[in-house]
Amino acid sequence: MFPLSGGLFLGWALGANDAANVFGTAVASRIITFRKASILCAVAIIIGAICQGEGGIHTLSGLSKQTHMTTLLVVSLSAAVTVTLMTIMRLPISASQATVGSIAGVGLATGSMQWGGLIKVTTCWVASPIGALIIAIIIYKLLAAFIRYAPISILTRDKMLWSGLIIVGIYGSYALGANSSANATGIFSGQFPGVSDRQLALLGGLSIALGVLTYSKRVMMAVGKGIMPLDAFTALVTVSSMATTIHIFAFIGVPVSTSQATIGAIMGIGLVRGVHSIKFRSLRNIGFGWLLTPIIALILSSSGYAIFCLAKPAL
Amino acid sequence: MLFVNKQKEIQSQISEYCASVLECMDSFQEAVKQYCDNSDRKAVKASFAQVHKAESKADDIRREIEVLMYSKSLFPESRGDIMGLLETMDRVPNQAESAIRMIWNQYVTIPEQHSSELLNLVDVCCRAAYAMVDAAEKLFSDFTNAAVAVGKIDELESEGDRIEASLIEKVFSEKNDSISTIVFRDFIKCVVQISDRAENVGDRIRIIVAKRSI
Repeated sequence: MFPLSGGLFLGWALGANDAANVFGTAVASRIITFRKASILCAVAIIIGAICQGEGGIHTLSGLSKQTHMTTLLVVSLSAAVTVTLMTIMRLPISASQATVGSIAGVGLATGSMQWGGLIKVTTCWVASPIGALIIAIIIYKLLAAFIRYAPISILTRDKMLWSGLIIVGIYGSYALGANSSANATGIFSGQFPGVSDRQLALLGGLSIALGVLTYSKRVMMAVGKGIMPLDAFTALVTVSSMATTIHIFAFIGVPVSTSQATIGAIMGIGLVRGVHSIKFRSLRNIGFGWLLTPIIALILSSSGYAIFCLAKPAL
Repeated sequence: MLFVNKQKEIQSQISEYCASVLECMDSFQEAVKQYCDNSDRKAVKASFAQVHKAESKADDIRREIEVLMYSKSLFPESRGDIMGLLETMDRVPNQAESAIRMIWNQYVTIPEQHSSELLNLVDVCCRAAYAMVDAAEKLFSDFTNAAVAVGKIDELESEGDRIEASLIEKVFSEKNDSISTIVFRDFIKCVVQISDRAENVGDRIRIIVAKRSI
């Protein structure tokens, strides 16, 4: 079971990083305290992982046929180290990119890469921010029409946004658990006798929840204040669009980046409101992080594999 | 459920506050009218006291609302906006009370020939205060249309300025250099500040709505 620790470490790093995309805007806007947000988020992630986490596990376990425990350890550790590095640098990166980058590194080194699966995953990476952008525009227009034309009090508006943010935050956390638990434990599918994919998804969900509870505050603040000033309304649109998008991809069974979906949603709001409201510098830094993530993960995992090969030529 | 109850409580307190502001303005208008009709200090003492009482009541309700809002019922941003709004609104009844106190402390003499125009000015200022209350209440019933209600305050404020300028010009055209003329001029300026302060509230309401515009 020792190699699983690498996956659980990755799950922890993923939780520390990706919870920001679900509750970051609400916490940074002081709509909900970090403590309450992290507890709600952790519980919903675990439920999401149990209910819908298996689809992603099937996809990731099919990317590269690795059966040796040391190789699996290298893959999971490389992804975890990549995500941790990026988290320390306060860059909201993609854990799924780190995982797939690591799998690709070992897959290329061993010549066992399943290119069909990789193309499917990378296509979804491109599709997820575009999808979130379109969904954000639709949700924005619908909500804006309601608030503009319904005679409501400023207090009722607050109540609606407050409740809305909590609900979509919980839904987003559920979708995060459903979509991303595979990143933590997906590569171990079928490796441990008696451990089902659902149990692996639960373990992944638990590790993500632990990351949320212990180390997600800093990135939450970075995401909440980084790209565009988010008020309660834009936060609601952003999180609901991101949550819907990643939930759709959880149904498809491809883990996608919550960060990319969030940025896509914020871009959608920016397009509706006027592009001047987007901080392009932050956007550029985040894009830079995305580019680096799979490359660093790939280099780490292929180097790690090479080191293990030198130490144990039987690999 | 807790949020809903607190929201209702705040909403009802704000309605009560608005009612007390209106009561204060009505008392103010009545007191000035009475003083114009009969400048006997003893005769008008009770109506002056009524203005003070209504102003104090408004103050008390505002403080209660502030305490209520600090019990985590609203977004921090909305809490700040509403507190700021109430504090700015509170300057309107305060100004009405100051005008009454000025009459009392400085023995303001209102020349008979100018009393109707002064009462017209008082009426315009009170209407500006009513428009302010109307706009503020809109925030708590149909907030997107509150900015529309603010337009009426601007109109009345401009009318108040016009009457003030005309009245002061008339007062000084009489070439009466007595101290009572200067005091009367100061009193006119004191009264017109009611509409100026109502206009400040209108500006705040505009900002509150603009910050939430989508």
